[in-house]
Amino acid sequence: MIKRHLLGERLRFAGLLAGTAMAAALAAPSLAAEAPITIVINQSPWFPGFQSVVELYEETTGNTVDLDVNPFAGSLEKQRTAVRTDESPFDLLIMNAGFFVEFYKGGFMDPLTDIDPEFKLSDDIYDFDESVCWDATAQTVSCGGDGKLTAVPVNPNILILHYRADLYEEKGLEVPKTWEELYANAEMFNNQPKMYGISQRGQRGAFDVTFDVFPYIWSHGGGIFKDQKAGDFTITINSPQTLAGMETYIKLATDVGHPSTAGQTQTNVIQNMATGKAAHIMSVLAPGLFDDPNQSAVVGKVNYAATPASKDFPGATPLGHWLAGVPKNVPDERKASALAFLTWFQTPEAQEAYARAGSAPVSRAVLEGPMSETEEFRWMKAMAESIPTAGLTFLIPEASQVLAVTELRLNEAIGGQLELKDALNTAAKEIAAIMTEAGYDAPMLDELK
Amino acid sequence: MKSDTFWRYATLAPAVILFVLLTILPLFNLAALSFHNVEWINREAVWEWVGLRNYAKLPNDTLFNAGILNTILFAVVAVAFQMVLGFWLALMTTRVTRLRVFYRTVFILPILVPGIVIGAIWKLMYSYDFGIINQVILWFGGNPVDWLGNPDLALMSVIIVDVWHWTPFCFLLMLASLESLPQDIFEAAEIDGARRWQVLRYIILPLMMPAIIVTFIFRMILAFKVFDEIYLLTGGGPGTSTEVISFTIYRRFFTEDQSGYGSAMSLATIAVIATMIILASRFATRKGPEQ
Amino acid sequence: MTDHGRSAPLARHAVLFGFALIVLFPFLWIVMASFKTQIALLMGQWKFSPTLYSYDAVLNGKTSDFVTNFKNSSIIAITSTTIVLTVATLAAFSLYRLRWADWVLRILLAWSVIFHMVPPITLAGAWYTMFRSIGLDNTYAGIILAHTTINLPMALWMMGVFIKDVPKELVEAAQIDGAKTPRVLWNVVVPIVRPGLAATGILCFIFSWNEFPVALTLSQRATATVPLGIGKYAQENTIAFTEMAAASTLSIVPAFILLIVAQRFIVRGLTSGAVK
Repeated sequence: MIKRHLLGERLRFAGLLAGTAMAAALAAPSLAAEAPITIVINQSPWFPGFQSVVELYEETTGNTVDLDVNPFAGSLEKQRTAVRTDESPFDLLIMNAGFFVEFYKGGFMDPLTDIDPEFKLSDDIYDFDESVCWDATAQTVSCGGDGKLTAVPVNPNILILHYRADLYEEKGLEVPKTWEELYANAEMFNNQPKMYGISQRGQRGAFDVTFDVFPYIWSHGGGIFKDQKAGDFTITINSPQTLAGMETYIKLATDVGHPSTAGQTQTNVIQNMATGKAAHIMSVLAPGLFDDPNQSAVVGKVNYAATPASKDFPGATPLGHWLAGVPKNVPDERKASALAFLTWFQTPEAQEAYARAGSAPVSRAVLEGPMSETEEFRWMKAMAESIPTAGLTFLIPEASQVLAVTELRLNEAIGGQLELKDALNTAAKEIAAIMTEAGYDAPMLDELK
Repeated sequence: MKSDTFWRYATLAPAVILFVLLTILPLFNLAALSFHNVEWINREAVWEWVGLRNYAKLPNDTLFNAGILNTILFAVVAVAFQMVLGFWLALMTTRVTRLRVFYRTVFILPILVPGIVIGAIWKLMYSYDFGIINQVILWFGGNPVDWLGNPDLALMSVIIVDVWHWTPFCFLLMLASLESLPQDIFEAAEIDGARRWQVLRYIILPLMMPAIIVTFIFRMILAFKVFDEIYLLTGGGPGTSTEVISFTIYRRFFTEDQSGYGSAMSLATIAVIATMIILASRFATRKGPEQ
Repeated sequence: MTDHGRSAPLARHAVLFGFALIVLFPFLWIVMASFKTQIALLMGQWKFSPTLYSYDAVLNGKTSDFVTNFKNSSIIAITSTTIVLTVATLAAFSLYRLRWADWVLRILLAWSVIFHMVPPITLAGAWYTMFRSIGLDNTYAGIILAHTTINLPMALWMMGVFIKDVPKELVEAAQIDGAKTPRVLWNVVVPIVRPGLAATGILCFIFSWNEFPVALTLSQRATATVPLGIGKYAQENTIAFTEMAAASTLSIVPAFILLIVAQRFIVRGLTSGAVK
């Protein structure tokens, strides 16, 4: 199967080149049909799984892939400098959901179908709210219209509710579907300082607290902008709906949450769950972490579910996924090699191996397949249920400027340094200033009173 | 004489060449950037001239204001502690003979640890739930303290870490300077029956003034650039209580990719530090017992 | 040693020892952490069964290039420290003892200190572009040059202080004796400023060894330095504390050895005769 694929790839690749090159490619005795490529990626809990898959690719095809692994801090800058020079040293960029639009919009990425018209996103692979496509005419993320396939997802990073299944069983509780139910369950286990009903991330960072409040505000009909995809940048961060979502977050934090929610990072939140001090957390999924006795005191006791809904709106989780794209400033030969890897990466075999190596795959077939029935991969169901509800957070290159505002103001509201309504009103004003300066039409709502 | 001139130039040339090639060019680039906004369209950088607009935006930037204030507070308090502590430890160390090498080695150790590790390790030690510091407090029957999450405490917690990390810098320089003082001064002073503090005030301090000033200046500059420790420790929060200026610059310049505005911020910050250092060293030299 | 340490009272030792404990504690804590499992560390356990897991992960792990990082950092730190000491000592000697006009001295010192105030990360981008255009990106040479430049201001100022302490008469006497400048430097000046050289050298070495943002920008996998290897353990959502502790413990070793060796040179005594 893989070999057949490879042959097709080889022929296609050869078709792009002159006849002599084609002859050379077919005559090459070694299995390595492709030029070596370099992938720039950052270290993360899912990286070891990705590395295993890359090694499998090298074994099965004989091609060479070099991984330039970077610390999370600074990896964005490294990708930027690479695409802005004459020739990028990296052939595949692994871009984060918060920043990929900048690379699309700046014209740095080559649409994959421009490199090879035959290249397709497999039907099994999620398109993550169409973030894999860029419409250069409309300047937006869309697979319709002039939208072209520009990236292949490599990891679904979404918020999942983690709960203590053993305690649930003890008390005979149901998995919460709504925030009220979550609150009631959290209250039942809240026994501070021994146990927190829930531990939430509230610290200010690059994209920390804002990311974690999305499930709350979206499921109450709120948001930061009205409809970015449709180009409606009405600022809704101080809408009554967003307020309701934030009130839900803060109520949980104050009544049944961690006393230092405003100082909690993702690391603290995971630590609270791993050490058995939290009954619930919402966190991006690190498969296997809580089942590893070296890292967890709650092995086999954690189960997973989609984030709760409110009575009026369904649950929704923000996308923090990672996308692989090919920069324009790479020689054609290496572009083709990069595509060969992406084609292989989408195969069911690769995706399954990826999951077995401890990372969350991006294939619907695997997430909903037989693996999801096993105890080890019990997280797959929650993930498969959540991805269709998952939404993109920002579709503008100014995202990080807006984030600087929301991270600060939301954190101040959670920490009690600002009244919630004031925080949201201030944030709205500051966001409006950024958007206006950048040339958007960004009307504001009436102030919250 | 001819060879004299040759050596005069030859000894200075390497430093000048390095400076010209590697600092002047980038700094001019930074200065030029600060009057522009840069946008990337179709892989091309488009520089738009904005005059002084980037500078005009600075006073209204919440993060910049908080960053400057916190950094000044941080630098002054932390460096003051480090200088006094470093000098005092160096003096004490030169006055013991036994275990001298041991103390000297131990007091320099913290400087060897990379900033990013300091941040991670102290974050664990300050941890509300399982940190060693709260463990000890609980053990004595106290209540856990929210070292990094409480806006009133966070900056102080960060300063403590910095004092731990950087006192060795001052210690090392003070020690090197003390060790190169002519030893007969001490002997002469003791024969004269001078009191210890008089020796310190009228002999040691004036002799060490140049070293003290250089240590102070460089420690001050480093304190203004503090980054990696705080990156993992608090990320600038809660609120803006530990926002330091290098964070703000990093965020505006890189994360937000506003290289024009970020450059203006860098240069404005340099102006602030330079003013502070000039004032402080004036003050130090005037107060210094030179008469 | 002279006699002013003769009657060091017990109190002085008590205070020094107390400080030594405060300094050592977090340090020992890092070393201890490197032998724990992540969960034992997170739970703040005091009793734990030591494991070499973290060291194994750091040294032999598939995702770890620590051995390469170590080699890279050694080459970069040693070379850049040697260069910076040489350049700074020559320049400081030239400025303070070879009768340069006052403005030369002032401009050079002022410029170096202004340059030192710029956060290095804001220059890293410009350096990357420069080095890439002449093929020095992803090479040792690029990072060495950058680290040399970053440390030069501090080295220049510090060596200035120490060289100013060298009595002018000594230098002049040697020159009258007909000694050439290099000879004066090597035989007269260097022995006197040895404590200063050692202190400056230690600092430059450590700064180069621990420098993060510039090395990140200028290097790729093959030239990545130790802090980049350690930084990788501070991941997107979690921190692999124990691996980080193990990597840090290992990374401290070379600087520690240097410290012990260079210590010896900080101690004056050998040359006191020349000063008197």
